[in-house]
Amino acid sequence: MSVAAVRGRRPSTQMLEPLLPAAAVAVVLGVWQWSGSFLSPILISTPTRIAQDLVELFARGVIFSPLAESLEELVIGGSVGILAGIALGVLMGRYEVVDKVLSPFVNFLNATPLVVIIPLVIIWVGISQNARLLFIFLITLWPVLLNTLAGMRNVNRGYVDVGAAFGLSETQMLRKITLPAAVPFILAGIRISAGLAIIGMIVSEMEVSLTGLGYLLVTYGNSFFTGRLLAVVFLSSMFGVANVLLVKWIQASFFPWIAGAAADQR
Amino acid sequence: MLDIERVGHVYETPQRRVEALRDVSLSVREGEFMSFVGPSGCGKTTLLRILDGLAEPSGGRIVFNGHELRGVSRDIGFVFQDINLLPWRSVRENVEIGLEARGMPAGQRRETALEALRMVGLEDVANVPPYTLSGGMQQRVGVARALALHPKVLLMDEPFGHLDNFTRETLQIEISKLWSKLGTTIVFVTHDVDEAIFLSDRIALFQGQPGRVTRILEVDLPHPRWEFNVRGDARAIEMRESIIEHLGVRQEVLV
Repeated sequence: MSVAAVRGRRPSTQMLEPLLPAAAVAVVLGVWQWSGSFLSPILISTPTRIAQDLVELFARGVIFSPLAESLEELVIGGSVGILAGIALGVLMGRYEVVDKVLSPFVNFLNATPLVVIIPLVIIWVGISQNARLLFIFLITLWPVLLNTLAGMRNVNRGYVDVGAAFGLSETQMLRKITLPAAVPFILAGIRISAGLAIIGMIVSEMEVSLTGLGYLLVTYGNSFFTGRLLAVVFLSSMFGVANVLLVKWIQASFFPWIAGAAADQR
Repeated sequence: MLDIERVGHVYETPQRRVEALRDVSLSVREGEFMSFVGPSGCGKTTLLRILDGLAEPSGGRIVFNGHELRGVSRDIGFVFQDINLLPWRSVRENVEIGLEARGMPAGQRRETALEALRMVGLEDVANVPPYTLSGGMQQRVGVARALALHPKVLLMDEPFGHLDNFTRETLQIEISKLWSKLGTTIVFVTHDVDEAIFLSDRIALFQGQPGRVTRILEVDLPHPRWEFNVRGDARAIEMRESIIEHLGVRQEVLV
């Protein structure tokens, strides 16, 4: 049955439906732009102003060095955190002793709003790029760790039966059944952790030492350059969008079976 | 060849202690097709899992070719009702899983898997992901996965339970043909009496909770069965009636 038949609409309305999100965005942007004609540009600026400032940030080359600094921290701190999280999750999933020993700490630290440890991080390694990297690492670690663990705990009983019936050793079971079966959970964990890494990047650049995009945000904010400030905000959002797209791409390219198997079960 | 000696099985759930099997003894003969028939919940599948080493008997023992069975034997293959093909592997790689456990080199594994897929008529789809196959085809892959190991005994747990009637009958004929060609001993769990009569040399009837074997029947019909209408055969009809009578299905309905 088509969507039109289910919802009792005429086909013409149905054809317009995909345009609805774009229309909503256009309306909001329009109202915002219009509000600029009577609000001070310092308060909220306007979409066209922000777009101009964004172009200018690139044209004048101001953005490149902060962007490179931010990206470097994000990629190093984030990927080390994610890899360590997966590794620890696998160890905890594989060895009960490791799980028993680590789980109180993992759960405590996962529950802690980790921004509070920035002063401690600075005490440890000083005001430096290392402090920022360490903070990003610490904030990234937990979600992917817990998701990896949950993925290994939630392996379809039937897959484990197949492995047992066909004589897989424990190591083979881990490599050929448990880990592949946990991939959807791990990918979801990576997405959440990478999102936190972006937050960690900006926060540490604002709180540890002024560099990167965090530096620009603070500087433009203090100088009431609201247009430029929001241009950098927009760029930060793009990091988040890129994260979601990247994880989707990884799943579609390397794990096409996730979508395939899900569609088969419907 | 495969002797089940006074096997019992008890397991604990958080709510209660369940005795699934009590004191079951029977012998599966070499090369025969034996079915376990009975209503759901009378321990047929439990016994089959014990035969495969997936579960341990709480009492009694299994003797296979003169040796007490401990754990999973490499001469015994298993076909699951829920086939659970691994979606991250191609059809061929799914069939290779047991061969990998044995450390067979990749080239030889590939050949063996393709040969097993050929036996069930699926060599053309060797490289596709399993979730693109129909239920009947997936079940054939499940059979190929077990056959690739050249088992002496094939245990099949309601393998056609999820399939529609037409696919089911086709697969019954195919498994019957495979059995007469390969000479593998087959132990087959089903609650479909007609299916059991069509396929088996002998049928063990399971009843009750805890499950026990209450009767063993010889199916006195000539092979190959796919060449005549077994369901319409007078002996088959009589046997069907007596099985249903014995299992007490009618009494239960009347009560």
